[in-house]
Amino acid sequence: MTTTVDQVPAGRTPTAEEQRLQKQRRRDRVSRIFWRIAGYVFVLGFWEYASGTILDERLLPGPSDIVRTFGEILTGGRLFSSFGATLTRLGVGFTLAFVIGAAIGLLTQIRWWEGFFKDSILISLTAPGLVWALTGIVIWGFEAQGWIFAIVLTTFGIVSVNVAAGVKALPKDLLDMAKAFKVKPFVRQREIVVPHLAPYLFTAIRFGFSLGWKVTVLTELFTATKGIGFEMRIATQLFRMDEFFTWVLSFFVFALFLEKVVLQYFERRFFRWRPEVTA
Amino acid sequence: MTATAAAPKVGKPTGSKKDGKVMRFLRSPSFARILFPFAFLAVWWAVYYTIDSRIFPPPQQVLGFMWDEITLNSLLRYGSVRNNVYGMFAISLMRLGIGFVIAMLLGTIIGLAMGLSKAVDAFFHDWIMAILAMPALVWALFLGLALGFGHVGPIIAVALTGLPFVVINVREGVRNTPKDLFDMARSFQVPRKRVIQHVLLPSLAPFMFAAMRYGFAIGWKGLVITEVFASDEGAGWTIKFWYDAHRAHGVIGYALFFILFALLLERTIFERLERRTFKWRPKLSGIDVVESALDTDSQDEKDFLILERSRAKFEALDGDGSEKPRG
Repeated sequence: MTTTVDQVPAGRTPTAEEQRLQKQRRRDRVSRIFWRIAGYVFVLGFWEYASGTILDERLLPGPSDIVRTFGEILTGGRLFSSFGATLTRLGVGFTLAFVIGAAIGLLTQIRWWEGFFKDSILISLTAPGLVWALTGIVIWGFEAQGWIFAIVLTTFGIVSVNVAAGVKALPKDLLDMAKAFKVKPFVRQREIVVPHLAPYLFTAIRFGFSLGWKVTVLTELFTATKGIGFEMRIATQLFRMDEFFTWVLSFFVFALFLEKVVLQYFERRFFRWRPEVTA
Repeated sequence: MTATAAAPKVGKPTGSKKDGKVMRFLRSPSFARILFPFAFLAVWWAVYYTIDSRIFPPPQQVLGFMWDEITLNSLLRYGSVRNNVYGMFAISLMRLGIGFVIAMLLGTIIGLAMGLSKAVDAFFHDWIMAILAMPALVWALFLGLALGFGHVGPIIAVALTGLPFVVINVREGVRNTPKDLFDMARSFQVPRKRVIQHVLLPSLAPFMFAAMRYGFAIGWKGLVITEVFASDEGAGWTIKFWYDAHRAHGVIGYALFFILFALLLERTIFERLERRTFKWRPKLSGIDVVESALDTDSQDEKDFLILERSRAKFEALDGDGSEKPRG
């Protein structure tokens, strides 16, 4: 969009215009960082001020309190066992949701099945996760099927949508050629469709993950005896808001870690043969 | 397109084109779409007869319950006369509307500022993303404790869950306004008011629409959760009521009400509104808009926009998919 001079070729003195642009870019970057820090200072400062003056300190503990409690919980060892419990739930539920969602997405290659599953995908996208959580619990009680049901139904839709979007963009000529050479349907799927869909599958994982993460915590609120959602409920019931916000904070830290570090690492590894899609 | 469509189909009997009307209908995707609810009911029946559970209701019980609720024959009036299914959904809808208007106003202001100024963008960016990533559950629990039961908590929850969607979309819209049109307007000395009216607003409109649509859907989800924890009326509270009463048919019945409600909202209101708003601009549907916006810098926003695009594409499958044979 904007015309920028990326790099001045070596061995040539930059022209006045290029120097001006470089300077401009540097100034932009510095001001961006400055305003970003200003934003943090403002929000955190306001929060610290609000706790104790606008809202009661017990209701809205300031950031410093929360960081202190975070340290306590971290050293107490409760943090990792809770995350382990939540991650297990998420892992089981989301794996199943991903398999089902991807299978439905692949089936949309056939128009009949696309019509068949269309409404189910729309429902999965639009219905609130709470509805599934409560339905699962009321049917299965505290058994695992209940929360698996909830996680699968809330997340499979987004996986299917992304896979279906990839299906729409399938390389038609390759498929036609494969058909003309009588390549078996299964081989066709494995050799042409799935490699083409790989980036879409990754997008699906990322969205499904952030969605599944939230609904997992929601199901834990109702049925778990361990995990982040359970800790959040206990903290609010005991009116320990500092602990509550600490769990929220750790939720953020962990989600960020998983998304930015773990998933991106795998994405980079996975697409090493195809650098253009990670760009 | 036509050349590929005419490519010989290997492995299929050539006589399949002579099928009667019935067969063609059975093979059409629209028949499959009609078939889906019946298949769903069949699976439900099968599950009902296979699992050994005293609380899992058969479909007819749930449908009967829903019918009773709709025709106001419900055994329970939830305390007072207006507290029936219509009343509860009306209360929720009102909260959703108010919260959503707040989200739209605030989000448009912040989004405009973020789109126009890089400093403001840097100032707010991370916090908007944090609100976007926050589970509605957190708002629900906190607002329930802070404000108690009533209208204020759910309204704030709707505003907070909807806000980031509005901000991101409006900001994208501002960034995507055609620069040359502004330049031209300036060189012809068009007054600012007319520039806003004829250049900025029309180019913002599709983005505002996307913001409305997703903000509304997300706000609804946030509202329902908040009503469970921070309210004693409303649709979310009602499903919790049946859950507490441990009536599976009530919970499932209300779950179906929720689904019908969401589908109704999407299908009737938003689709019609969209068609009407963009009649003057037939080619530029939501898909192209979002697609053109994909050259943003941050990965988060890119993800978000891909999500919208893929969803918009998915919804467009009905319309243009018919002439492209696949499979």
